[in-house]
Amino acid sequence: MVTMPDYYEFYCPVKIVSGKKALANLPYEMDQLGSKKAMVITDRGVVNAGLLKLVEESFQGWDGEIGALYDQTPPDSSDKVVNEIARTYREKECDCIVAVGGGSSIDTAKGVNIVVTEGTENLLAYQGAERLKNKTRPFIVIPTTAGTGSEATSAAVITNTDKGIKMSITSYQLIPDTAIIDPKMTQTMPPKITAATGMDALTHAVEAYYCLQKNPVSDAFSVGAIRLIVPYLVKAVQDGKAEQARMAMANGALLAGISFSNSLVGIVHTLAHATGGVAHVPHGVANSIFLPWGLEYNLEKSAADIAELAPFFGKAETGNARKDAEAVISAVREIREKLYELCGLPRTLKEAGVDEKKLEEIAGVAINDGTVAMNPEEVTKEDALNLLKKAYG
Amino acid sequence: MSTAESARLTGSFKAKQTLVKTSLLALASTFEIVSKKSPEMRAEIAEWESGLVFSVGVLPDGPAITMRKETDGLHYLGKGHQAPKLKLLFKNTDSALMALIGMIGAHTAFAQHRAIVHGSLFEAMQVNRSMAIVQKYLMPGLILKRITKRPPPMSGRDYLIKAQVMTGLGLAMTKNARK
Repeated sequence: MVTMPDYYEFYCPVKIVSGKKALANLPYEMDQLGSKKAMVITDRGVVNAGLLKLVEESFQGWDGEIGALYDQTPPDSSDKVVNEIARTYREKECDCIVAVGGGSSIDTAKGVNIVVTEGTENLLAYQGAERLKNKTRPFIVIPTTAGTGSEATSAAVITNTDKGIKMSITSYQLIPDTAIIDPKMTQTMPPKITAATGMDALTHAVEAYYCLQKNPVSDAFSVGAIRLIVPYLVKAVQDGKAEQARMAMANGALLAGISFSNSLVGIVHTLAHATGGVAHVPHGVANSIFLPWGLEYNLEKSAADIAELAPFFGKAETGNARKDAEAVISAVREIREKLYELCGLPRTLKEAGVDEKKLEEIAGVAINDGTVAMNPEEVTKEDALNLLKKAYG
Repeated sequence: MSTAESARLTGSFKAKQTLVKTSLLALASTFEIVSKKSPEMRAEIAEWESGLVFSVGVLPDGPAITMRKETDGLHYLGKGHQAPKLKLLFKNTDSALMALIGMIGAHTAFAQHRAIVHGSLFEAMQVNRSMAIVQKYLMPGLILKRITKRPPPMSGRDYLIKAQVMTGLGLAMTKNARK
């Protein structure tokens, strides 16, 4: 029997523009939002891969323009960078924000949107949930990875450089107006990043499906995401130029993003966030390492929900929830093995270069991560440490 | 809506608000007692930022309590939001009531969007754990079994602290009601 929550909320106002030459619609979409002058936020990787050129070319024939460009976004968004870009936005009198890149560029753009909308440079005041009351500036996202799903989520994580803390800001006002998904924009991603970001997207979809905020609408998006990611992830890693695989992965990540923006993730992300913070393991790699362990950890409470995913992982249903859930876990491990063979994506913390002595510190950080509250099973520091030891390998 | 119906609704809302106010006062008073007597709570708050001020309340301007971490435990500063660094806010009186009288657990209140955090999620998780410890001494075992993910283990010492909470709560609430 499908689980029906006592109560849930769901919100996704993003216009999705997806497919071949979707990028050519950027000026039109700006026009639809009443904007003419874009503040483009991106990083050096995007510029070096020649992707910014594609964005610039899309403006031909339109009176819309790139009013200002910031192409130095660091891997971790920070308030200093956000405030610097916001000042440029005001000086150049831009009227919309266009983020081109992965999670960091998109989160930075969300931070800029808060600063230019609220007229403040103090992002600390917006930590937490639903604190933005004003309608934010027009915001278009063009993802160049297929993983974070940030093009459809309400959250941004930005480092406060003075205090050395990561600020988590969640607001429906931060959800982009438009997501432009063009296969050209992800084709230059190297195999290992394709694998890691793809496993990140898969983790979003799977955790959103069995964690505490699950609901019928997010479930539908999770299933849609898994149906795209499972058959196409390995193909996209094998052949980065395969347009259909790239499109499937980009859409899978988008659907997973919509799902987990409305049904927050659990223990896998709890551990991945902490491992990223303490041992600097990339987020997608960490999620890939922890996903089977997180699923196993929740079997007692969530076997029935996890079991429902078996057919989407290519496993025949037996009618026995525990067995079907275990089949999902073994399917996840099979995908990880293939990705390890193809591009060396780490399967254990040891392979990811984590020092075993850091596990205790990671466990201590993990239990204060916001996602821990949404995990079906209770998580104490001891529980987190046990899982980390298992995942160490 | 008739005048009688309107009066009935107002009366019902006021009754609920009174219950929420009393429950919050009980929560604040139990926080104070447990933070002095429970080694588990002392270990938890030892990790907190010194002087952390947090409040628990009801939107838009319903009842609220403010607590501060001091060296000897948690102290009730008084009703309302007294310049807290962290706010745990229920979206309405009904949601607050459900959580405070043990119909749903704190994690369920957040999962169901009935409560939100204004401030650091890191600190919210710390406070959330301390609330779970308070509930352990405040709620009957049957309710804990229903509203927690994993019912908290109760040692002989825990039962003793629970008895001290039950016997001392009335007096503590009377004292705190004046703040």
